[in-house]
This record gives sequence, C-alpha cells and structure tokens, in this order.
Amino acid sequence: MSRLFQAEVIENRALSETHNLLRLRSSGNIKTHTPGQFFLLKTSESYDPLLRRPFSILNRSEDTIEFLIRKKGKGTAFLCRTTRGDHIEVMGPLGRGFRESEADETPLILAGGLGIASVFSLLGRKAPEEHLFYGASTASELYLLDDIGKTANNLHLSTDDGTIGLKGTVVQDLNKFLNVSHVERPVVYACGPEGMTAPLKSVLSDKRIPGYFSLEERMACGIGACMGCTRKTSGGMKRVCLDGPVFSLEEL
Amino acid sequence: MKNPVMTASGTFGYGAEYSEFVDLNRLGAVVVKGISLTPREGNPPPRIHETPCGMLNSIGLQNVGLQNFLNEKLPFLRKYDTRVVVNILGSSPGEYEACASELDGMVDAIELNVSCPNVKEGDMLFSSDRNALMRLVSDVRKRLSKTTMIVKLTPSSPDIALDAKICEEEGADAVSMINTIPAMAIDIETGRPRLANVIGGLSGPAVKPIGVRMVWETYGKISIPIIGMGGIMTGEDAVEYLLAGASAVAVGTANFVDPRSTLNVLEGILDYMKRKGIDSINRLTGGMVWDHKDL
Repeated sequence: MSRLFQAEVIENRALSETHNLLRLRSSGNIKTHTPGQFFLLKTSESYDPLLRRPFSILNRSEDTIEFLIRKKGKGTAFLCRTTRGDHIEVMGPLGRGFRESEADETPLILAGGLGIASVFSLLGRKAPEEHLFYGASTASELYLLDDIGKTANNLHLSTDDGTIGLKGTVVQDLNKFLNVSHVERPVVYACGPEGMTAPLKSVLSDKRIPGYFSLEERMACGIGACMGCTRKTSGGMKRVCLDGPVFSLEEL
Repeated sequence: MKNPVMTASGTFGYGAEYSEFVDLNRLGAVVVKGISLTPREGNPPPRIHETPCGMLNSIGLQNVGLQNFLNEKLPFLRKYDTRVVVNILGSSPGEYEACASELDGMVDAIELNVSCPNVKEGDMLFSSDRNALMRLVSDVRKRLSKTTMIVKLTPSSPDIALDAKICEEEGADAVSMINTIPAMAIDIETGRPRLANVIGGLSGPAVKPIGVRMVWETYGKISIPIIGMGGIMTGEDAVEYLLAGASAVAVGTANFVDPRSTLNVLEGILDYMKRKGIDSINRLTGGMVWDHKDL
C-alpha cells in the first residue's frame, strides 16, 4: 500500500464545458480516507506544467477515487483530456480532513461552488439530521445534484443570480436557516472560495457555533516540507498541505 | 559520503517528511532546511508560483530555529546512515557564528547560506560585498573546528568563481552552487505580483544551463570540491554537472515533481556509469571534453 502510485482512468466525464468528473482506479492502494483530504495529481508527461496539482477527494470506494476538476489552466486542461485506460500518477491521501461528528452533533455542511468536492464525501454519515447548503453563481454551476439528492436529506440550494433556490450566498442561506430553526449542537463543515471565510466566521461566532473550513492553496511538495503553502493562523504559519487543508474557523 | 547525491536545502524539510518515500539510508547526504538561531516565520503568502519548466519561491526562510532542530529534528536524522548537513543563515554575522558554534561537532557539515534572494534584512547581500563574504567565511571557519564547511553561492554574483576562490582562501572545505535566481511574475488579470514578496527565487529545469555554466567557470579556478545543483531532475542532468566540474550534486525542486527523485537521480548516475564503463564518480568530475583552441 503506497501513497504514490499510478492510477488508471476509468471514466472522464464532462459535466459542463468547464467541469469534469474524473474517476480513477486506486487498485487497493487506499483503504480509507478522511473527507477533506486531497490528492496531488501529475498533470503532464513533461516539465510543463512542472508541479502536481492538488484536488480534494470527491468520493472514494474500495477500488476507485473521484475528483471534480475545473478547467482553469494547462494542468487541469491536461487532466480533462485524459481518457479511459490512461494512467495518471497520483499521490495521496494527503492532509488533515474534517473531524468526525460526535453522536449528538448536527453536521451543517456548506459548499460554495467547487467546494462541493471537498465536503461531498461527508454526506450520508449523519443522515437524517445533517444539512447541506450548496451554492454557486448560477443553477448550471451546481454539479452532482442527482448524486447529492440520493444522499442529502436536507438540501438547501442557493445561487447568486437566483436561478435556483435562495438568491444569495451559502452563508446567507445558512444564517437564514439558523435564525428560524433549532438544531442540536450544530457543527459547520465548509469549503468554498476564500471570500466565504470571513462572513462565515462572523455568522458562527455570533451564534457560537464551531466550524471547520477546508482551504485551498498553491502547493509544491504537498507533504509539509517546502513551506510553500502556508497560511497565517492564530497558531502561526501553518501548512495547508499537512496541518490542513481543514482548519477550525477560530484559527483563521 | 557514500554517494554524490544530496538533497538541496529547503526542498527536503528536515528529512522526516520524505522518509515515507525515500529510504534516507541510501542518500549521500540530507541537507536540511536553512536554520537560523531563532525560529523565523517566513514571508506572507503567496510564496510559490509555477513558471514554465520551473517555479518561483519566496518562502522567506521559515524554519523551526536552532533549538528545535537540535532537540527534535536532528535525533530523527541521526537514526539513518546518511550524512547530515545543516544549512545555516542569519541576519547578522553574529547569528551565523552562534549557529556554527553550537553545531560544531554535532553534524557532518554546515552549509553557509549567504545567497538566498528572499531575505531583506540589513546588509546581508554577500553577493555584492566580497569583503563581507570574506569576513563571514573566515569568522565561521574559526567556530568550526570539527565540521566540514560548505559555502552556498549565488548566481546573482558578478563573478561566482571569484566568490568561490575567496571562500577557499578563507577556509571553506567546499562550495555549492547555484542557489535560486532572483525572478518574478505578474498576474495580468489582477495587475498584482504573483508572490507577496514580489521577487522570489527561480528553480527547476529552466535554470540548469546557468548552473552548469557556473560550475564549469568555477572548476579549475579552485581546488576544493563543488557541489552542483539547479534543475537536476534525472541522473543525466546530474552527470552534466559532474562533467562540468562538480564532485557531488544536490536535488531540489525535482523532489516536488517526484518525491523519489533523489534515488532516481542516483540510479540514473549509476546506469550512465555502467553504460560508459566508468567505475568511479571521480572520473566524471571535470570530465567534459573540449579543445581549448576552438575558443
């Protein structure tokens, strides 16, 4: 069992012009993972792009791992061009994921845009109490709704332009919910764009609810050696690849 | 060292991080992240940015500090059959000397970092002040009676071979080159620099031709060994450095591309030697063939 291995592409499905679902065969290399952990994927056969790219583990089964890829640059374009039978060199699972919820806690899962990739595998662990708040800029950017529908009992959707669900942000949606509902010992698990952390922190500290956020950062080594991916926290400069990517909101 | 492959400071942490992927016993030496007398937080993020066939870094020398290194990092490394080289840095000559004194006799070698582009303090620009370089090397030499001293030189210097000569004269046992090249990138959508520090150090395959050139320019001007580094990804890259005049090589950015790179490079060198029927690394050092009269 190794954290560095060649994974065969089983399926590379375009969900839209900009997003792909990549399913790889892990061949028994990964027995377990914590939601919030990630993999480093090699994105070229050459020196350009040079560095691997980090992707949250969307989902994992006995023999497969899945990633949600947004086509942004050369590296992601390479991954979106792979086809069944290709091999991609991968490294993982890496990082510290989301903690396990305690028996009497209610998980409130927040996904802003591509953040769904990081929190998706949290779903179903504490159904029926758990809630998922999933938002994007517009309805067509809300991915995997079919799969989510099968596992999420309490689904709250929001879009910036109001094409589906609440017209507003995920954090606004959460705030609205918390103002009218009472849940047992809520804990928030979130992932989304950088701009989400401050408003979320504000809402949660106001209501004294603990929360955890999965950060994203450019990485080089991915294993805590190079100090390239550090972020300032209350405990000093922490490495997103090893001390995170999940951090408590209090630390940030 | 049992073989000429070392790790490049800053790319291999303190060894433990890579021990899962690399059997440290097989390395010639582990050169750890630069250590300063007291812990340093480093630069604000973003600290890294990929460029074609390379990357920029402005880590800012974040490190755990000398005490933590001695108490926690060193004992781990000592469990392995490999040389331990500690890269040291400081914001004043006094800090270098203090680190050197405490480390003397505790590790196999000290590598003086006098050339990192990512530090702004004081007058620590040894690349432009040869007298300061001379004094520093000489002062640190006095503090190291039992330990090999290597000086890591910068490609920013107007004459790296002259810097190397000065280091040799002041008692350095070896020089290593090249450190990263000051460089930068701009995000044209935001109009902002890619690095918070604006300028960082370029490393990776893109810099190899510069490193090889500088090793060659230095070789022949000094008699102490040169450790060559800069863009070594494979055994073949390492052999280029050896032929140019290096006696050993360090592998850095390659570790990010493949964490097993150090061992891949070692195996590549051995494969080359087998293929060419060369029985000793020493025969490779400075082995480039050229006719002086062609110049």
